[in-house]
Amino acid sequence: MQNSLKIALVVILLIYLFVILKAVKKKNMRINYLIFWSIIGIILIIALCVPNFVDNISKFLGFELPINMIFSFAIFIILYLIFDLTKLITKEQNQNITLIQEISMLKKRVEELENKNKDDI
Amino acid sequence: MKILLIIPAYNEEENILKVCQTIEQYNENAEIKLDYIVINDGSKDNTLKILRDNKLNHVNLIKNLGIGGAVQTGYKYAFENKYDIAIQFDGDGQHDVNYVQKICKPLIENQSDMVIGSRYLNKKESEFQSTFMRRLGSNIISLFIKLFCGKKITDPTSGFRAVNKDVIKEFAEEYPTEYPEPESTVSLLVNKYRIVETPVSMNAREGGVSSIRFGKTVDYMVKVVLAIIVDSISFRRKRRKK
Repeated sequence: MQNSLKIALVVILLIYLFVILKAVKKKNMRINYLIFWSIIGIILIIALCVPNFVDNISKFLGFELPINMIFSFAIFIILYLIFDLTKLITKEQNQNITLIQEISMLKKRVEELENKNKDDI
Repeated sequence: MKILLIIPAYNEEENILKVCQTIEQYNENAEIKLDYIVINDGSKDNTLKILRDNKLNHVNLIKNLGIGGAVQTGYKYAFENKYDIAIQFDGDGQHDVNYVQKICKPLIENQSDMVIGSRYLNKKESEFQSTFMRRLGSNIISLFIKLFCGKKITDPTSGFRAVNKDVIKEFAEEYPTEYPEPESTVSLLVNKYRIVETPVSMNAREGGVSSIRFGKTVDYMVKVVLAIIVDSISFRRKRRKK
């Protein structure tokens, strides 16, 4: 890989880390996900900066080509992430249903009490 | 003895007033008066306006939840207001209020925890038996419930059902919202609640559109069967912990 390309990629990754931090600061991301995304960023930076890092690991793990290792890791991570999000969505949906039910029932109760008050006055 | 009819309604402007009026007419001559609550499931038509104008007892869900979420709201209401029996009753005029007494009888005599009004139990009783496809679907669901829970329920998708106090509490806490009728049946069966079926007749819909779309029947069947299998495992474990 040419040095100029490497530098460009590192810069992109640094921007990426910065974007994550900004999202956390704005409370758009939970700490849990911050850890996940920043670990991925840091691993990518190490892989770029340390010479033969990817080659050595893929040889050690027995992949025929380094690119195979990168793709399989990437797919596993993405699958895990989607699974995690599916779980989260289900949980949120259930909470949403409960909220809608409770709010609707409260509204009914408030209306009833208001009407009762009017009658009393 | 306090009895509540839970009437879920989604876009039922044509039927809902009639349904409530039949209940009120029934109450004029009945020994045990029936309370009812209409759950307006975020209807897009004039259902809410009709409910307000006629001062029908109702809860207006602020967003559409689907039949399961709507019915559960009714159970929560029943639980909070300490009803002894809650009956699910369709807002489209399919169910006949005159069967209420019959459907409550096993509960009052404490022979059962839930009573399902079945269209298929007694062939003569019901003129409206619905289409061949629907009956086939019901049979398949029944078969799987028998396989996984060991009890034959002839009409697992029937929306006409009555439950006692224990089950009201159970449903208020947790009610399956995806395929509510068969799933709730399974959740009760695996937890050793007693379920009895009683033959009822249902009318064909008087107006509006049924919530089951026929194009999606196969998709629905596969998912219901899967839900039965999953529930027969998951509900059992959950309640054992308590």
